[in-house]
Amino acid sequence: MTTLLTRRRMGALAAAAVFVAFGVGWIGAPAWAGATGSGAAGSGDATAFFKQFADRLVAIVNGPGDTATKRQALQPVIDGDVDVAAIARFCLARFWNTATPAQQQTYVGLFHQVLLNNISGHLGEYQGVSYTMNGEHAEGGSDVVATVINRPNNPPANVSWVISTASGSPKIIDVVAEGTSMRLQERADYTSYLERHGNSIDQLIAAMQRQLNGS
Amino acid sequence: MRSRHSFARVVVAGASPLFALATLLGLTACATKPPASDPDAVADYEQTNDPLEPTNRFFYKVDNTLDTYALKPVAQGYVYITPLPVRTGVHNLLTNLSSPVLFANDVGEAKPRRAGDTFMRFLINSTVGVVGIFDVAKGLGYPGHDADGNVTLALWGVPSGPFLYLPVLGPSSPRGVAGYGADVAVDPFTWVPRGYGLETLNWSRYGLGVIDTRAELLPDLDKVKNSALDPYATFRSLYRQHLQSEIDAARSDDRSTTPDWYGH
Repeated sequence: MTTLLTRRRMGALAAAAVFVAFGVGWIGAPAWAGATGSGAAGSGDATAFFKQFADRLVAIVNGPGDTATKRQALQPVIDGDVDVAAIARFCLARFWNTATPAQQQTYVGLFHQVLLNNISGHLGEYQGVSYTMNGEHAEGGSDVVATVINRPNNPPANVSWVISTASGSPKIIDVVAEGTSMRLQERADYTSYLERHGNSIDQLIAAMQRQLNGS
Repeated sequence: MRSRHSFARVVVAGASPLFALATLLGLTACATKPPASDPDAVADYEQTNDPLEPTNRFFYKVDNTLDTYALKPVAQGYVYITPLPVRTGVHNLLTNLSSPVLFANDVGEAKPRRAGDTFMRFLINSTVGVVGIFDVAKGLGYPGHDADGNVTLALWGVPSGPFLYLPVLGPSSPRGVAGYGADVAVDPFTWVPRGYGLETLNWSRYGLGVIDTRAELLPDLDKVKNSALDPYATFRSLYRQHLQSEIDAARSDDRSTTPDWYGH
């Protein structure tokens, strides 16, 4: 699949690269490069919320400790500022309603673990990263904070953070890296897996469990 | 360019047995549309727009195997033996050589300002940038951008058509194939006469381009493959989303006619 394509025709793969480079992310990692002003349409609340979220992540990433320690420190930040349950539900799409309450609970728990593992597993890799904020705007009932992420030896990446207050307080519900949405990509993955495995939520849960055991 | 021209023939020649094999194995079957009694599933099917999914998945597997045993090891070797500044120079050089196609697409997309930037980049980088090895133009306020035939046709209102995963060429669509053909056709390197060593140059250019791109994606592709439960569906989603963002970016690009330093 790497394909004998030239760069311009490598859309998917380039997207994948950028996405994983940061999108997996929620990575957050990085050093803060300072805000360049808040946006025209947003209230500014999302920007303030995002800044404190990013600052806490930066403190963890640049702080001492091994991956396990950082994972532990990361958990309250994710639990507090990321609407994991809403993202998990979104990713299951139409299958959410066909799952039993017990399956839903197990699935959300696993999703949480997968997310944490993805983030903490990459924390060490992105030292020296910096952000620039490019304001916020409202979009489809959510606020979007636009950032540019600079990594050493990499072209700058445009990453937007989608923040919703549907849960009662501002929380991150999506990361869009170079136009590719993390939750849309995850939903495509899960729903396709389900369709190819008899629409069985149990099989998806088992696959996620295997993924966690293998990581 | 000749190489691409020749390469197209190689692809066709190479792909024919694969298509034959796929047919033999019954893999050219269409995806089964869900029953109308399940409207959610039908909506998903239509949104996915991948009626040839079984065939596409077959070619995904073929390409994945080729990658694992051929291209990826070569790219790893390239990264191992070549220092980063050299790889960056090669990358810049290759990007510069694709400027004529980029320029044609900028014009086709009715984006004179983008076309102007491409023209200036080509001019500056080909001279001051030593035939394109150094991206001097970027520092002078002419940043690079992407454009290709697929995006141009999209801006003309041509619909994408269903998802296709092509042997060797990877994720695409009927519009993507048409756009690729247009890019080959407008590339001056396609039409260079035989001889003069230009064919060798073109093949080298093509081979290096493939390795350069793959090397750039080394760490990230593995991460997608490892973290996805269904990598094919994940790449399909990423391809579409990224393409759409490129189309949106081209459509809404109203950059200034003068570079940053001029103080417009």
